[in-house]
Amino acid sequence: MASEPEKVVPPVETPEAEPEKAAPPPSMTRPTDYFAVADVVLRLLVFASALVSVVVMSTSKETEMLPYPRPAKFTQSPALIYFVAALSVAGFFSLITTLGSLYSLIKPGCCAKIISHFIVIDVLLLGIVASATGAAGSVTYIGLKGNTYVGWREICTLYGKFCRYLGASIGVSLFASVMLVLLVLLSVYSLSKKIPK
Amino acid sequence: METESYTNGGGVAKEIGIANKQTIRWNDFVLRFLAFVLTLVAAIVLGVSKQNELVPVQLVPTLPPINVPASAKWSHMSAFVYFVIVNAIACAYAVISLVLSLANRGKAKGLSLTIILFDLIMMALLYSSVGAAAAVGLIGYKGNTHVRWNKVCDVFGKFCGQVAAAIAISLVGSILFLLLVLFAMLNLHKNRRH
Repeated sequence: MASEPEKVVPPVETPEAEPEKAAPPPSMTRPTDYFAVADVVLRLLVFASALVSVVVMSTSKETEMLPYPRPAKFTQSPALIYFVAALSVAGFFSLITTLGSLYSLIKPGCCAKIISHFIVIDVLLLGIVASATGAAGSVTYIGLKGNTYVGWREICTLYGKFCRYLGASIGVSLFASVMLVLLVLLSVYSLSKKIPK
Repeated sequence: METESYTNGGGVAKEIGIANKQTIRWNDFVLRFLAFVLTLVAAIVLGVSKQNELVPVQLVPTLPPINVPASAKWSHMSAFVYFVIVNAIACAYAVISLVLSLANRGKAKGLSLTIILFDLIMMALLYSSVGAAAAVGLIGYKGNTHVRWNKVCDVFGKFCGQVAAAIAISLVGSILFLLLVLFAMLNLHKNRRH
């Protein structure tokens, strides 16, 4: 009996057109962590607005002839001095936390414990910046409108540029406090997503 | 923790543990109650502050000074109006959030997050009102010679005392709101999945 020669069909080899690529390194296939990026962006905004507020208020000096030259500076009011000091502290601490967040974004997982403490700094900074904004805002409002009941006259008609600088600085610090609220909210939201249902 | 035990067909007893998520966070409750009391007291102390004095005013140098009746009220100063309004809002919010957090007790996560957000906003508003009232009070206490704003606390001493007391009480209340936010954060941090 004739045995059928076994047809050895060579297994069809899929032609590998390109040589096998090396497996991609595992650290490159990570999805973007939107929370960390938004964290860094918000902190940078807080630092920038604190810096702008301090600079604008420090350079707000105006001299008017009434009849002798009388300057208007931020050092003449304790509330404005407190504003500059508080926003400087806020800028310094927000710079530190920005650098920390940026470092954690570049090298993820390195210092998660320290990053989780940043939220305490954020909450404290919010209190400080809010109180400084309120203090400077109330003094500027009296300078703008005056108060006839206690005989405090308005000064913004005389010192227009000074009042404009003050108003701009306070507006920017208000923006900084809103950014701080968003920052804390972001941290709370990212913490709550990790809680098992 | 509630546990149930049953035996399946193989006779092996299993236990299912059901975690009890309804916990009353007592420090949260106490802090909210204290914050309610303190902001209420601060708003009331400034809200009823009023002082009438006879101020000697010299119209013409030759005539003796005339006594003009003058009054100091909180509504004369816009910073104090802001202070009273913010403290009243914070007091009302403390009551509402107390009731809500007792009813919620960790069931709805969205409500817990909303309460934390509003705690944060209330804290910022309270701090800004304390800063505003303190700044205006300082001007009234010491005056400001550069802009010729005279001090008023030497005439209206009782009024200034009430303002100072209200500011101090509200400052403690705002620190309590800060502690509320920090404790909520700590709670979230403890419960998270590692």
